[in-house]
Amino acid sequence: MSVVNDTQAAASTGTETFEPKILAFACHWCTYSGADLAGLNRMSYPANVRVLRVPCSGRVNPQYILTALNKGVDGVLVCGCHPGDCHYVSGNYYAKRRLMAFRRMLQYTGLEPERFQVRWISGSEAGKFRDTVTSVVEQVRELGPYKPDPALAALIDSSVDASNPVLPEGGEA
Amino acid sequence: MTAIQESIQKRAAELLESGEVTQVIAWTNGRFTNQTSPLFIQNAADAGKIVFNEYCVNTLAKYVLNEKIAGKVGVCVRGCEARGINRMIADNQLKREEVYLLGIPCEGMKDRETGEALDKCLTCTHKNPVVYDELLGAEVTDTVSEEIDKVRFAQIEAIEGMSREERLEYFNNVFNSCIRCYACREVCPVCTCRECFVDQLRAGWQGKQNNLNENRFYNLIRVFHIGDRCVECGECARACPMGLPLMELNRKWIRDLDELFAAGEEGLSDELDNTLGRYKTDDIEEFM
Ligand code: SF4
Ligand code: SF4
Repeated sequence: MSVVNDTQAAASTGTETFEPKILAFACHWCTYSGADLAGLNRMSYPANVRVLRVPCSGRVNPQYILTALNKGVDGVLVCGCHPGDCHYVSGNYYAKRRLMAFRRMLQYTGLEPERFQVRWISGSEAGKFRDTVTSVVEQVRELGPYKPDPALAALIDSSVDASNPVLPEGGEA
Repeated sequence: MTAIQESIQKRAAELLESGEVTQVIAWTNGRFTNQTSPLFIQNAADAGKIVFNEYCVNTLAKYVLNEKIAGKVGVCVRGCEARGINRMIADNQLKREEVYLLGIPCEGMKDRETGEALDKCLTCTHKNPVVYDELLGAEVTDTVSEEIDKVRFAQIEAIEGMSREERLEYFNNVFNSCIRCYACREVCPVCTCRECFVDQLRAGWQGKQNNLNENRFYNLIRVFHIGDRCVECGECARACPMGLPLMELNRKWIRDLDELFAAGEEGLSDELDNTLGRYKTDDIEEFM
């Protein structure tokens, strides 16, 4: 939730340059270690990226991607193991087919291609992780904030999150 | 058409009489001129109500799922219904022996208001049922597929030719008109989950608000869920009370999968072979 509030704060002052929020789904078995290695090597990359660890790129349901965008993220990056290296043998092959088609569909319905990207990054490719994240952040910064519903965004000051209230944590619904 | 109508009536009566099926699903005259509605009959005496003309626009396949509980169902199948039936068998929703298929070669249906051929019929690739127990009438010839494909994907190509801003505006308008009645899901022979993601309130995938975000979410995920299995029966677009061009979403997916992974057409057999449910190690690569 604080993620949303950050930008609201930034947006309201109006003076600061736009800092995009990027959500990176990182496979536990490769990219997550790659990001770790980048940290160990003291590599620096933009703090705009929030890394979300998933067991496999095949675990990334396209619903997550749309939900992230709807809830105030400006770009989504999905990272997994190189084809052939999947810890679960085939998860990334399925992810590849599915995300290739889904990406085309998002572009077809008007999303900028830069806002949703997929990369294969292994556990040893710390540099590739840094470069990918940096380039995604730069591309999305160029594009500006993602406004999924122009009418709504104006109405509630870009806090599109209000369109789908999240249940209180641990609460019964 | 009248010959086919007579044979359906005759066979429906015989099947119900002999007890081979408990029910027959066909069409009957609707309330308005040139309109038909689905008909469900349990008695041979009602067979005379069956109508078959060029306004039988409803695809009957999905009804079978609810009706089969009472016993074996006899159902009229044209190309579109037959592919839906195959699809449901492949998805393990239906067993072949639970239905008796009265095959009908079909020349295409017309819109009752304009009198013009339906889009789904103009682009139909299988006018003869691909599966049936008996065929009532002589097979018709299919238009060659290259010719059909030009029409079939013409709209997709037109949209792809627009600029990104135009596409965004176009689809925002489309999604804005959706009232999320879920009729498109209800009629679809591919949408057969007992519990749909939109109904999983605790998971909260789909908010209840009717706004552009939620509508876009619904429509994009609907098409993701059916994309690799859609049999192009056009029921979703027909049932939509708001006239959303849903085939423009379905066909985009269908054509992409075909170009990328040689998906081919769905519902031609009852084997389970979903394009997104399999992979090849040498699939084309673009995420390096
Ligand atoms: S039938 Fe049409 S209006 Fe109803 S949910 Fe589907 S797309 Fe939306
Ligand atoms: S998505 Fe539409 S065209 Fe495709 S199978 Fe379902 S109802 Fe038919």
